[in-house]
Amino acid sequence: MSIDNPPQQNVILDVDNPTSEHQPFKEQLQQALADEQMHAALERFAPSWRASRKSVFEYEESEYGPEYSFPHMRHQLRQAKDYAIEHQEEMVAQFKKMAEAAGAIVYEARTAEDANRYIYELCQRKGIELVVKSKTMVSEETELNHYLEARGIKPVETDLGEWVAQLAHERPSHMVMPIIHKTRQQVGALLSEATGRPISREDVAEQVAVIRVEHRKAFLTAGMGISGANALIAESGTVMMVTNEGNGRLVTSLPPVHVVMAGYDKLVPTFADAITQLRLLARSATAQPITSYTTFLTGPATPGKEMHIVLVDNGRSEMRADPRFKEALRCIRCAACANICPPYAQVGGHAFGYIYSGAIGLVVTPFHHGLDADAGPQSLCVSCNACETVCPVEIPLPSLILDVRSRVVQKKGLPWLKKVIFGTMAHPRVFGLFTRLASIFQFPVTGGSRYVRTRAFGALGKLPFVRPVARLASWRSLPAFATRPLRDRVKTQLALPPQKTGQTPSMTVCYFAGCMTDRLYPEMGEAVIKVLQACNIRVTYPQQQNCCGLPALNSGDRKDGSIMGKQTIRTLEQALEQNGADYILSASTSCVVTLVQDYMKLFEDLGEQEWLERAKAIAAKTVDFTTFLHSVLLANGTQLPLREDGDKIEVITYHDSCQSCNCLGLRKEARHVIQDVLGLELREMPQSDVCCGFGGATSIEHGDVAERLLHNKLRNAESTGATVLVADNPGCLMHLRGGVDAQRKHMRVLHLAQLVAERLQ
Amino acid sequence: MEANALFDRFSQRLSAAGGEAHYAADLAEAANILANHPALAEKQLVVPPDFAHSQPWGTIVPLLRDKGINIREAGSPASVADAPAGLSGAELAIAETGSVMLADNSLEARVVSMLTLTHFVLVRAETLYPMLDEAGQALQRLTKPGPEQKHYISLVTGPSRTADIERTLTIGVQGPKALCVIIVAGRS
Repeated sequence: MSIDNPPQQNVILDVDNPTSEHQPFKEQLQQALADEQMHAALERFAPSWRASRKSVFEYEESEYGPEYSFPHMRHQLRQAKDYAIEHQEEMVAQFKKMAEAAGAIVYEARTAEDANRYIYELCQRKGIELVVKSKTMVSEETELNHYLEARGIKPVETDLGEWVAQLAHERPSHMVMPIIHKTRQQVGALLSEATGRPISREDVAEQVAVIRVEHRKAFLTAGMGISGANALIAESGTVMMVTNEGNGRLVTSLPPVHVVMAGYDKLVPTFADAITQLRLLARSATAQPITSYTTFLTGPATPGKEMHIVLVDNGRSEMRADPRFKEALRCIRCAACANICPPYAQVGGHAFGYIYSGAIGLVVTPFHHGLDADAGPQSLCVSCNACETVCPVEIPLPSLILDVRSRVVQKKGLPWLKKVIFGTMAHPRVFGLFTRLASIFQFPVTGGSRYVRTRAFGALGKLPFVRPVARLASWRSLPAFATRPLRDRVKTQLALPPQKTGQTPSMTVCYFAGCMTDRLYPEMGEAVIKVLQACNIRVTYPQQQNCCGLPALNSGDRKDGSIMGKQTIRTLEQALEQNGADYILSASTSCVVTLVQDYMKLFEDLGEQEWLERAKAIAAKTVDFTTFLHSVLLANGTQLPLREDGDKIEVITYHDSCQSCNCLGLRKEARHVIQDVLGLELREMPQSDVCCGFGGATSIEHGDVAERLLHNKLRNAESTGATVLVADNPGCLMHLRGGVDAQRKHMRVLHLAQLVAERLQ
Repeated sequence: MEANALFDRFSQRLSAAGGEAHYAADLAEAANILANHPALAEKQLVVPPDFAHSQPWGTIVPLLRDKGINIREAGSPASVADAPAGLSGAELAIAETGSVMLADNSLEARVVSMLTLTHFVLVRAETLYPMLDEAGQALQRLTKPGPEQKHYISLVTGPSRTADIERTLTIGVQGPKALCVIIVAGRS
């Protein structure tokens, strides 16, 4: 079984009752984008969860010390889960032995069908017709409810959210908040229909009270209760379950037969590990310190009861056999990666996932449900890396999603347009020629300005070929190619002697501009060089430099990406050989992350040991502009020669680009430069570290999502009253500038280097 | 951590989770707290089977009866469902989270904590520990194979709750609508 041939499901869909559960991705996405209620609910939730989560973790750390900090605890749990994964056979044997000694029956199910059939046959043997269920994502994964219903057994979900979703014939749209996409009006209507009584559309307390009454009978008469597990504790054969509503305890206590469904990945070695998991789980899911009920079951709950524990594989062995995807088995299903995800907040869990949603959903779906099920959802990821910053078990989600993406590209091929674009970029001379020609022939749509604007298309914009391009520019103007790219300008600029003539330069920096700065925003590059030269630094500019390959790599195109990567490494090696340099500097944090993180992973995956070593050598010398300015120059006591008469009436607000804050950990550096060194007023915008929506090619493929993220970002920026919006990544700056232009807002959008350069003598 | 500070921490965390915490110098004071509590306005209290003969809490039963509280032992779930008040004893309490640990092998004992509307819990002050780590150790001990093995153990932190509908918090779903913990010092 490979990820391309998922285990077969024998699901008989009820055609008379069509569900929204197996809609094709495009439909799912359209529906999601049109769902204003869900959008509003998710947009309200996202910042509030972020703030609550931060404070609930900070409280624990401030009360109990650094060993109770999020970074420390998640590393501990990661290690425990890694141990369990490495020693799975041993863990399973121990768990089984202890659970069976306590009176439980343990069944190992290889496939979803296997697990479903075991449970069904158990019902058959005992004449069970009614089953009460408490939350178990694994039963969603195996589509147990469909299986049982098709065979005449009635499963009733007893979690309030899961039950309402069941009534609506929908899947939960979130692993922890199943009906975040529903309003109280919708819930009231569903409950009224289900109970045959009028239920308030407004009074949530009344709606909640309905479930207590409606399910009481089911709890007391059901022949079987099915629950999940948040952890399987090997040392004692104990099943750990966390809930808030109290239904979990009823499901596992009242019916005479209790079935636990759990993936093998739920195993943890000891109670101490389970306690660490508890400290992380609720905080990550709902920003609660702990849930109302944490239950530990060891064998049947009372004498005479039967307890069956069904361990489910269903693709987990394949994950375990893969050295990278193995890491995803650490997941504790907290949904933090969904909660923090900017595109998730725009489209919800039905589109951003298949059955499992959020970043982890994009990673595991190929193994449980096949690559095709994930082809659409994975395209929504903008690679902002926010998920990785909150994962309580340190799963490298962003890079695993890109791995999935490259498998999709391998299987389905790259769209022809991307093939053309990346193929061109991988040939520097052709690419260079193309951009120079474009910088001339773009005149009709730029009118000599720096932008391609929708309004410039005029009536032409209605023509079938032209319309998509004109539409692209409607909510953010596209950049014009610079008539004089940076590579031309540096020939004159670097010929100038450094600022302090007569003095030997303090150091040499090899400047890697990146294709955007070179071809679209050469003025940013000039500003960088100006700042460096003002600090008595000798700057060299390797003319052979081209694109670092990030756009191709992020689109899953490893072929062109690796060509450009090798070109870049070669160019920089030659430059270092010819001119020597203390640092390789780039003012594009996207390029820096590519050089210092992505290349290593790429060559490791490709098995190219020699290139891996060469990439490491280049990475060791590479630094981004902000870090260099703050942590090298200023830290060494360098004084920037600032103008005395510089006006300070400008108000600055700062956007933390994803690569800068999530990948490189930068936050205070740029702020220090703006406030303390330049002495300017800085006003923080809300959600400064949330993705601006550029996400590389995703802003074109999923323009609707990108537009919403940009809208949020610009609204947040404007709300500060700032006159200047600053960031340190050209990708973001392009997106932000385009938005400001198209929406005719009044803010200057600058690279940090430009803000500094403006204020130099 | 010093005893008072420990109780304060416990009380603060439990309140934040929507529960109530009291400190009683002895069992008599605990009985007072119970008898005067609004949930016992109807003077009905459900306890686990054999509670009156159990250690260490059994002697609270006559104290409550003296105050006119009608005490009955839990029977079937249906007979206990939505009873106004239930009383259990806990193995321990944890200050870090405001939790109590209930352990049993009996459905009747458990329904007291699952189905009554206000659930009262007695805990010995000596078993109020600072951190969840102590709970982990207790779990190891309680789940050891043997005649004393406890099959069903719960860490309970406050009443039942949900925020599934529009993220509006509602207290009291399937489980109790209120949780009241009485930490009892002195000799029980």
